[in-house]
Amino acid sequence: MRESVIPQLRRGVLEFCVLALLRDGERYSFQIVQALTEVEGLVTTEGTLYPLLSRLRRDGVVDTSWQESPSGPPRRYYRLTADGEAALAAFTAEWARFRASVDTLLETGAPR
Amino acid sequence: MTTQTLHPRAAEYLVQLRRAAKRLPRQRAAELQREIEAHLFEALPPEAGEADVLDVLARLGAPEQIVAAEWPTTTVPADPRGTREWAAIVLVLLGGFAVGIGWIVGLVFLWSSRAWKTWEKLLATLIVPGGLAGGLWLAFAFAAVGAQTCVGGTGIRTVCSSGPSPVVKALVIAGLVVLVLGPIATAIFLSRRGRTPAALR
Repeated sequence: MRESVIPQLRRGVLEFCVLALLRDGERYSFQIVQALTEVEGLVTTEGTLYPLLSRLRRDGVVDTSWQESPSGPPRRYYRLTADGEAALAAFTAEWARFRASVDTLLETGAPR
Repeated sequence: MTTQTLHPRAAEYLVQLRRAAKRLPRQRAAELQREIEAHLFEALPPEAGEADVLDVLARLGAPEQIVAAEWPTTTVPADPRGTREWAAIVLVLLGGFAVGIGWIVGLVFLWSSRAWKTWEKLLATLIVPGGLAGGLWLAFAFAAVGAQTCVGGTGIRTVCSSGPSPVVKALVIAGLVVLVLGPIATAIFLSRRGRTPAALR
């Protein structure tokens, strides 16, 4: 039971981490995957990020376009949509509150 | 344009992925294949050795694991096509036996659904009008035309024309097969091509 908490937490926040990566501009899929794997403990299998990117496209929080690559197949570039920006802003605010509450509880054993 | 080729280990991994992705809607399976292939091209320089390839593949995860990550979002477990879509498939195939009205109801379901593309709906409508009933009716009519005909009368010797040539016979048999098997093949085609509600989003 306790072992399944971290993967669940990871799954829950990962999509917002992708949106956060796109806040400052577009990136292509491999760049997104690379950036996420550099964050310790966030991604265990890189391949499973592609289904996540597909879901974000279907949910309309990201938009994509294809651009030629200097070598290899064309690259799919991702950028935030207005819905994506709104979802990211809402999560950022909620996450700060959530994290502070949990931190306090874990450190002091009592709610703020 | 891609000029470099993938390391044999990476190419083998893509074959395994294609096999694992058969459970996904066709369009999504092809897209996932392209994405992972592009990832491998990006991650592996042309001079990559066996150890580099194995490391990249290990970090990607097993093909089954990647496909499993699709499940919560791209499939609806029990009835991916929806009741209305299954009704369309059954009625387009067998509805013609209900005085033809069932087939028309099936067409209404078929054309009002977003699960199929226009050309797929057109194909299902034209092969064969009336579904299996229409196919059988046309098959009997076709066979009757190709059959031997006799002319005769009272006091006159009955004259029968010789049977159709082998070429005509072969054409008649082929026609019969198409008319009867066509609607069945179309029903199978519709059930396989129908997109899931999630994939329509």
